[in-house]
Amino acid sequence: MAYVLFTLSVLLVMGFVGFSSKPSPIYGGLALIVSGVVGCVIVLNCGGVYMGLVMFLVYLGGMMVVFGYTTAMAIEEYPETWGSGLEVLGGLLVGLMMEVVLVLWVLSLDETVVVSFSDTGDWVIFEGEGSGLIRGDSIGAGALYDYGRWLVVVAGWTLFVGVYIVIEIVRGN
Amino acid sequence: MNPLAQPIIYTTMITGTLITTLSSHWFLAWVGLEMNMLAFIPILMKKTNPRSTEAAIKYFLMQSTASMVLMMAIISNNLLSGCWTTTSYINQPPSLMMMTALAMKLGMAPFHFWVPEVTQGTPLTSGLLLLTWQKLAPISIMYQIHPSINIHILLTLSTLSTAMGSWGGLNQTQLRKILGYSSITHMGWMMMTLVYNPMTTIFYLTIYIILTTTMFLTLNLSSSTTTLMLSRTWNKSTHLAPLMAPILMSLGGLPPLTGFLPKWIIIQELTMNNSFLIPSIMTIMTLLNLYFYMRLIYTTSLTLFPTSNNTKMTWQLENTKPMPLIPPLIITSTLLLPISPLLLTFH
Repeated sequence: MAYVLFTLSVLLVMGFVGFSSKPSPIYGGLALIVSGVVGCVIVLNCGGVYMGLVMFLVYLGGMMVVFGYTTAMAIEEYPETWGSGLEVLGGLLVGLMMEVVLVLWVLSLDETVVVSFSDTGDWVIFEGEGSGLIRGDSIGAGALYDYGRWLVVVAGWTLFVGVYIVIEIVRGN
Repeated sequence: MNPLAQPIIYTTMITGTLITTLSSHWFLAWVGLEMNMLAFIPILMKKTNPRSTEAAIKYFLMQSTASMVLMMAIISNNLLSGCWTTTSYINQPPSLMMMTALAMKLGMAPFHFWVPEVTQGTPLTSGLLLLTWQKLAPISIMYQIHPSINIHILLTLSTLSTAMGSWGGLNQTQLRKILGYSSITHMGWMMMTLVYNPMTTIFYLTIYIILTTTMFLTLNLSSSTTTLMLSRTWNKSTHLAPLMAPILMSLGGLPPLTGFLPKWIIIQELTMNNSFLIPSIMTIMTLLNLYFYMRLIYTTSLTLFPTSNNTKMTWQLENTKPMPLIPPLIITSTLLLPISPLLLTFH
């Protein structure tokens, strides 16, 4: 059970290989859903219950659904899937093979490579006086609108301008 | 561009650079760079043709790769030191990644291949913004991390940039590509003294922005994008034909013009640090830059190419195109050397 984080990370990278071998976007969206689910479970395993559930709702349930609908509108007659041509299949197999080699190499080492999986910290838990338990992730989301107000403003403005930019690029005339 | 979207996009581009230069948290510095890049893409595609689309895609791919590497460096630095401030010392491996990412953003060799092609695929005013405004944010970050930068790799990148920029521009007739290669060369010069005296980098950047702006606006007056079109400047705007000569010579770094001053300061800084071979190599490489500027001067004002008779009448018609800021820019880009003690207050 101590290796569950490691296994989930390996599954995440394999999901990424699935869409970075460049099939048609509809299949890429499928691989993104798999990677997204695994990523959420990683966040849940690190103790970020609120963050993981918010990611499920907003990312997978909101953004991915919209992405799926838009790609379904722009789909071609015979979309390219993982087994439909040598390029995509070759990319997928090379990516998976490199991931297996990396996993075997990391497992054979004794020291930590980038992040140690055995003692990753948990989301910080505070004991307030008389107020009970305060979890780091949900308090962090609240602090985003308090201490991080400027960041929310900048992020919101960037998303707003992103729509203008995409419309300009696509329908610039 | 849609006149409703234009102020929003230009405001976002300026705000992105401002956020990067004014932030002390690494995350916001990265956010500013991303805002800047995103808002610059439709500016690159002002005229929608496949060439500008390709230029915008190339720009987007290069800059987003660089942003990814920068984010990796920021997070690695936080893992190693727990620090989010831009003014504190950066550990060596993340500092190397940051330098690579910022070199990719600035168009320094060996990541310089996108600069001439993106400058070529866009209109002249977009190219102006690409080579002047887009350099401000990455250089501000490099200024802030200058104590942690590995000297040897930075000097290698600078020397390579000067060499690649000079050699690459030799066989060009397209003016935007020439200015792109000139930008690569100047980036190489700028980063030479970043570790020794970072104020010289900012000084070189200021003079370079003035020179490049003058060049682009002068070219924009006659809308000339090739050497052949530049050879008709004597006919279109007669007063500008002999004025291109000092501007280009200043860009190439000839004394007693302004462009010589930053190069002089950089050579002085390097020799004060007992480095003689590198400034000699850089100066000799930049002579190639001066050679292809001289070729432009030759076609502009020193010869008259054979043209048909009815194209020789353009100067008799009144020129209605406004000249934005060109006279003060020409004066600034050629005559600043006598007041150099006033400019060199950081010495």
